[in-house]
Amino acid sequence: MEAEPRIVSTDLPQERSEVASWTGCFEPFAVGDPGRAPDRVISKLNTRFWYRPELALDAVMVGQEGESPFAALRAASIRGLSHRHYGEVRQDEYAFRVTPDNRYLVVCVADGVSAGKWSHLAALWGSRGGVDDLCRILRDTEPEDIDWPRFVGEVAAQVEQAGRDHLLRHGVLPEDVGTTRQVAGQLATTVLYAVVCLSGSAAGQAHVYGIGDTSVWVLADGHWHPRQPIKNDGAEVYSSSVTALPLLPRELPPVIRTRVAPGQVLVLMTDGVGDPLGDGTGSVAEFLADRWCLPPSGLEFAAQVDFRRSTFDDDRTVVALWPL
Amino acid sequence: MSETRGTLLPFYLVVDVSYSMSGSKIDAANDMIVRVQDELAKNPILADKVRFSVIDFSDDARVLLPLCDLLERGVTVPRLTVRAGTSFAAALRVLRTEIETNVKQLKGDSFKVHRPVVFFLSDGMPTDPDADWQAAFRDLTHYDPATGSGFRTRPNVVPCGVDDADPRVMQQLIFPATGEKQMRMYLMDRGEDAANAIGSIAQVLISSILSSGVSIAAGGSGIMLPAAAELPGGVHEYTADDQDFV
Repeated sequence: MEAEPRIVSTDLPQERSEVASWTGCFEPFAVGDPGRAPDRVISKLNTRFWYRPELALDAVMVGQEGESPFAALRAASIRGLSHRHYGEVRQDEYAFRVTPDNRYLVVCVADGVSAGKWSHLAALWGSRGGVDDLCRILRDTEPEDIDWPRFVGEVAAQVEQAGRDHLLRHGVLPEDVGTTRQVAGQLATTVLYAVVCLSGSAAGQAHVYGIGDTSVWVLADGHWHPRQPIKNDGAEVYSSSVTALPLLPRELPPVIRTRVAPGQVLVLMTDGVGDPLGDGTGSVAEFLADRWCLPPSGLEFAAQVDFRRSTFDDDRTVVALWPL
Repeated sequence: MSETRGTLLPFYLVVDVSYSMSGSKIDAANDMIVRVQDELAKNPILADKVRFSVIDFSDDARVLLPLCDLLERGVTVPRLTVRAGTSFAAALRVLRTEIETNVKQLKGDSFKVHRPVVFFLSDGMPTDPDADWQAAFRDLTHYDPATGSGFRTRPNVVPCGVDDADPRVMQQLIFPATGEKQMRMYLMDRGEDAANAIGSIAQVLISSILSSGVSIAAGGSGIMLPAAAELPGGVHEYTADDQDFV
């Protein structure tokens, strides 16, 4: 049977008299020359690790005591332009947790070393496993008494063991994962841990410990204060070589102790943001200081972390804490 | 104020334009530059990072294309034309001056710079005394970290020879010749057409630019040469220790 022809009105809609039912707009952030890549890169799927999202994001209050939380936390981890272009996974990671007694916030920011094709797993284990272990340690240890070298040694051993098991399950030959260095060639990660006191007279005190070039800063009065030496400062040619777990540097770094007060921001970041930030005095520093004088919404924060700037195409991860 | 505007990867193509290069060889060399430009246009990640320069040499050496972004508006691809002589020393000296000036300028402009990469193409023997070009090569590549003497931004050098280029001479231009990051040279196979071989060398140059991009994305520090199995026909690769040439 022939269908009844449908009558479709071709009349133009009447003049709109109502106010538009939506507002808002989005424009990517850019600092200086954005380069060609942001507009031209075609983001490719990674078919092997299809389950891994390009973006991880959190925007929460931490240290809730009745009606007065201690701080606003923003965290974003974003796959870099280069990994989007080449179809590689995001290898950066973050994790955070408040101890059950509500006394401490424990954070980790990790940067899986790109040379290893399984490094995102090292970043995942190093961050989640490490944060979990720190929470356990903090049950009966004050943060100033944490034995950090021992702690990272244990995390390194866990990453190595989990990595070796994983590689063996995926067809890598036992003779190719015999040494720590061999495992590290397939999966390795920088780690930066922070334990922040959320209550009492120590509130705002942060104990920070890291392996590799992931960095910690305090943003105060619009100025960036690095809490470790600046990477590649004074180098003639650029080098991206970095120490990363499961390998440990011959000389372990000192613990960084700092304090963050209301009006200031404690910021942990991978080199995807740390490199363009440089020594914290240029236009990227100005941009982020301006945008982060107050905690932005989660999605805005992610867009700011993803700012465009020519040649800076690495994964980017930032965890920032605004004590209230 | 101190911040980085970006991290760049400088490539220098140094081309012998002695009379023996005339005809299809010089055409193939000219085509190399256009092919590099085309490849960069297809790869937005590299397009932002690669800076390219062309230096030609005969009795003297000239900077035909100062280090630049090949895709920038207003950049005209130069045409190589032949003239007399084959002075390696002149080429290496101009190269050193250029690298020194360019890196200083880029750093002054707040860029970070990966170690420069030089592709050195010749079809013959140097016409200057060995001692001259060997001294110029030493000036280009010697650096003593202990004393700080020499050339800190010494480049990686990849010699490429066709026709009458002497393998044992070209071999001396490989830098670094040893170690974990040792470079290689590419030579035309005997009996091969030189213009075709230059086409293959262009392919090696492009592969090296592309894989260096992947390497940087993978946390490496710059230059990657293509694997031997992926080499185009007409050329073979050699290290500084090789004794036998195809």
